[in-house]
Amino acid sequence: MSEYSDKELLLLFKDIERRNYAFNLIVRKYQQKLYWHIRKIVIKHEDADDILQNTFIKVWKGLEGFREDSKLYTWLYRIATNESLTFLKQQKTKYLLPIIDYENHLKETLESDEYFNGDEIQRKLQKAILDLPEKQRIVFNLKYFDEMKYDEMSKILKTSVGALKASYHHAVKKIENYFKED
Amino acid sequence: MENFNKKLEELKGNNNNPFSVPKGYFEDFPTKIQERIISDNKEYAWAIKLFRFIKPQFALGFIIIGFAVIAITTINFILSNRTNAGIDSDLYTRIIEVDASEFSEQHFIDVLLEDEKKIDDHKKEESDFYIHYLVDENIDYGTLIDEL
Repeated sequence: MSEYSDKELLLLFKDIERRNYAFNLIVRKYQQKLYWHIRKIVIKHEDADDILQNTFIKVWKGLEGFREDSKLYTWLYRIATNESLTFLKQQKTKYLLPIIDYENHLKETLESDEYFNGDEIQRKLQKAILDLPEKQRIVFNLKYFDEMKYDEMSKILKTSVGALKASYHHAVKKIENYFKED
Repeated sequence: MENFNKKLEELKGNNNNPFSVPKGYFEDFPTKIQERIISDNKEYAWAIKLFRFIKPQFALGFIIIGFAVIAITTINFILSNRTNAGIDSDLYTRIIEVDASEFSEQHFIDVLLEDEKKIDDHKKEESDFYIHYLVDENIDYGTLIDEL
């Protein structure tokens, strides 16, 4: 199957008779990228699965009104990021946990997660990332794991490139300190 | 920090993604999403059908409630106007003038009794005037009744 460009997919989606097919192609094209992005924020596979489903349901409902001011890829990442942050907020209020406790809960999940294949250093890196503030964590993940450019990240997170660079720099410094202390 | 950046790059070189998913997850996911969209659409269609079915009943209910509210408001308005007409406005003024903060039920009764007493005094004065007139003019009460 030759991969369609985003423009071709959007054009295909506008044709009511081929809408389902076009949406299926969009899901197939972006499911993995979005899943890993979400998974690194919420850690647990089941939560990442729920959020990914909600993300694509929102995409299905909103794609008709998508005005192409931004790239489809940027728009999808923005929805996935917002869904993940909303999920974290809901979890914190649901269990009435202060932020630090919920991050500890995520670290414990990391210890017992059957779908974590990394070695001890990678586990340590994930724990250090979990110590970062939410937004900083997302910036670090997008830059370090997804190797995303700052100007693309800027469109997703609606933050200036300068602020993102500073955020990444602080994140690396904090992770370095975590490794030194531990 | 430069050294740590290198360390991070090395770490990434080994295995960029330490997480994994259950077998066949990404193969099955598009089908799962399609099924959810279909079930969401069914629920939505069911909700629309239900709304269409109960719409006339809802409209009727709202009309009845609207009429009831208008009727109650009108009756309350008429009743409150009627009650106000029966009480002398001077009486209100007097009550407020005394001191509204110290107004009590007993005070209200005293004011009403005083008012009634004044009306009696006025009637007594009037009848005294007629008696004096009849005596001065030497008119017999029996003759007066006969004339009337």
